[in-house]
Amino acid sequence: MSVLTNTRISRRGVLAGAGAFGLASMVNPKVVWSADGPILKVRSYADIQTLDPCFRLAAPEGDITNIIFAGLVVTTPGDSWGWRPMAAEKIEQLDPLTIAFKLRDNIGFTDGYGQMTAEDVKFSIERIADPANKSPYSGDWATLKEVEVKDKLSGIIHLNKAFAPLWTSTLPTPSGTILSKKAITELGGKMGVKPVAQSGPYILKEWLPKQRTVLVRNPDWKYEQGGFAEIHIHPIEDEKTAELGYEAGDLDYTWTAVSSIARLKQTPPPKTKVIEKPSLAFVWLGLNKDVAPFDNPNVRRAVQYAVDRKAVVDAAYFGAAATSTGIIAPGLPGHREKNLFEYDPDKARDLLAKEGVSGLSITLDILNKTERLTAAQVIQANLQDVGINVEIKQNDSGTFWTLGSKEGDYWKKLQMVLSRFSMQPDPSWATAWFTRDQIGVWNWERFDSEEFDKLNAEGMVELDPAKRDVIYKKLQDLMEESGCYVFLTHEVTGIMYRDSVNAALKPNGEPVFTDFKPV
Amino acid sequence: MFRYALKRLGLGAVIITVALMMLFAMVYLIPGDPASVALGPRATPAMIADLRARMGLDQPIWRQFLHFYGSVLRGDLGTEVLSNRPVFDVVMEQLPFTLILVLGGISWSVALGIPLGCIAAVRRGGFVDRVIGVMSVAMIAVPSFVVAIYSLLVFAVALQWLPAIGAGEPGNLSSRLLHLILPSLAVGLGWIGYISRMVRASMLETLEASHIRTARAFGLPERRIIYTYALRIAVLPTITLLGVGIGQMLSSSVFAEIVFARPGIGKLVYEAISTRNYPIVSGAVLVTTVFFVLVNVAADILVGTLDPRVRASFN
Repeated sequence: MSVLTNTRISRRGVLAGAGAFGLASMVNPKVVWSADGPILKVRSYADIQTLDPCFRLAAPEGDITNIIFAGLVVTTPGDSWGWRPMAAEKIEQLDPLTIAFKLRDNIGFTDGYGQMTAEDVKFSIERIADPANKSPYSGDWATLKEVEVKDKLSGIIHLNKAFAPLWTSTLPTPSGTILSKKAITELGGKMGVKPVAQSGPYILKEWLPKQRTVLVRNPDWKYEQGGFAEIHIHPIEDEKTAELGYEAGDLDYTWTAVSSIARLKQTPPPKTKVIEKPSLAFVWLGLNKDVAPFDNPNVRRAVQYAVDRKAVVDAAYFGAAATSTGIIAPGLPGHREKNLFEYDPDKARDLLAKEGVSGLSITLDILNKTERLTAAQVIQANLQDVGINVEIKQNDSGTFWTLGSKEGDYWKKLQMVLSRFSMQPDPSWATAWFTRDQIGVWNWERFDSEEFDKLNAEGMVELDPAKRDVIYKKLQDLMEESGCYVFLTHEVTGIMYRDSVNAALKPNGEPVFTDFKPV
Repeated sequence: MFRYALKRLGLGAVIITVALMMLFAMVYLIPGDPASVALGPRATPAMIADLRARMGLDQPIWRQFLHFYGSVLRGDLGTEVLSNRPVFDVVMEQLPFTLILVLGGISWSVALGIPLGCIAAVRRGGFVDRVIGVMSVAMIAVPSFVVAIYSLLVFAVALQWLPAIGAGEPGNLSSRLLHLILPSLAVGLGWIGYISRMVRASMLETLEASHIRTARAFGLPERRIIYTYALRIAVLPTITLLGVGIGQMLSSSVFAEIVFARPGIGKLVYEAISTRNYPIVSGAVLVTTVFFVLVNVAADILVGTLDPRVRASFN
């Protein structure tokens, strides 16, 4: 009976234990090198599903396509939005409708697809613009007339109408990358997850689904080399998991959860820089004006007065984010200095009393994310304070993004919704979703203004920044005056990276991986 | 025995069909449009309609089900329309990671659960038995995601002994194993407790059996009585339990795969449901259901092989 109770420690057991401990202690070296130089390990929030710039689905795919396929120009890192030539030796806007370019003479495609030519530029741009190809990004070239090929390396982009976002949210993005005409034609017109004819400073060496994407320096790239021999991109959806992965030494760069920014700034992990960058995204409370009780403009206005935006944003973003004055972030033309209707619960109560409204019960639809729920709970308390009961309905992403769609019926019941849209660095990206033809598509408030549509169209073709500033401010005034919108915040982006890395970031905190350097 | 196995496989086919029908009903009852979700805000209504047609979502649900089931019988799980990759390939490149994770969880639970159960049974009523009892219940009570998070914080973040994220370097066995330790512990810890309790109870019953008393009367060594006669019988219920446990561990693997950013079928299904990627959801659930059914049939057959009484009942 004593056989199982005799647990003496043997010399062999001690050695085995020590061996296991030693083995475990050897993992996670803090500096990782490949045969060709240092490796940068970064997190992206999603894995790739396609590498065709024409059909990209999410920002992480754009980050990769912008590296492995050269565009005419590329966004520069820094605190203000700018660009520099990449595949173009020279590119200039001759007049509002004409852009001339000349390619660098020695940019080649991998896989034996030869030199990049102006014919490839024509093919790539017209491919995205052509409605027959059904690219979701055809709007980036909405006013394209044609690309004229002058010679092997030179050409002219002709527009039908001036297009203000061209230099900010079209040419430097994947919509401006150049693919090999021959390669895409051989693929039947569309590329999948296996890139062909790569041409950028890095090329994709390995993709392990849900594990990592490995980019290595392109040996044929003749211009400024990337600072790291390899870039390993790990798809990690959850921000908290990414933070832990960073703290464990598995990552060199990651975005953090907003809720972690204060903690990380106070006690950062060893040898780490923690910074905040203002986001371009915008978050707002939307009121559906075609559904009771918000078909009454004074009830809408009462809600605008009733919501304490600072309290909402402080609670939801742990004091890290500021309240917004509209949908256009600071630094862009059209950013407003203040809102038209500030928090005033007494005015809200007066308006409701004037309308004879009492005992209101309203549903607020939100996406099931922590900060949205917190924001919704503060809004619930604010509205309770003026006599409006709010029921919060959480939705998963698959459900949420169809709530206001005219294809379904739910928009007829949708009363209030807490929404967030991401942005590109041009104000037209913010206002495009609130026109009348977007009602039931992305305009879920069913905001309906002829003047708004007219001004929005003018903003797209106006190239004078001062005039655009006036136009986009007016557009947001119209939105707020309608009573359909309570503008909340542009959020904030938390970033941490090793102090051994010089992180190259766009003004909104998005990475420019080619410009990351080891310190 | 052969007829028994055939019967179980037939029942398995029915279970798979019912599971798929339930899946289809659930998937199509929940709101949300996969085409809108996939294409994002910049897609025009025409693009969304085009993608819906390519995904077959413009068809009645019964036709979609028959089409899917017919394709499955022909060995075709369809194509994932966004990446244009075969669903079978997408599922099968993730499945091994989950199977290894589950296998790791089983290894923890068997390697620790059976000895603990044996020790507790042999030291019945004593201090060691009580300590093992408390530990076992504690292991059962702690949810696997809590184990996952705390083990990650302690061993990966604080001590930095083990890696936190990923599945390790391809082709590097030690890297793969090191990346498996914490996730598999998170998945298997609760089952250490279950198996420990199960083995203890079964062992106590077996140690009172007449053949064990006879063996003692013949003066056989205690070690031989326990390992050769008692444990072989006492472990049989554990094999059946593990068949069910594998299903449970497949569910727990979702948490482990998300917390440890590991590839795997759980995370694949989770993300596919979020984006309403129905072909992936259907394909992944089909493959895991088939796997679960096969494992349970195998467990039953193994019990029959090890236990002459069960074999006799088949005959």
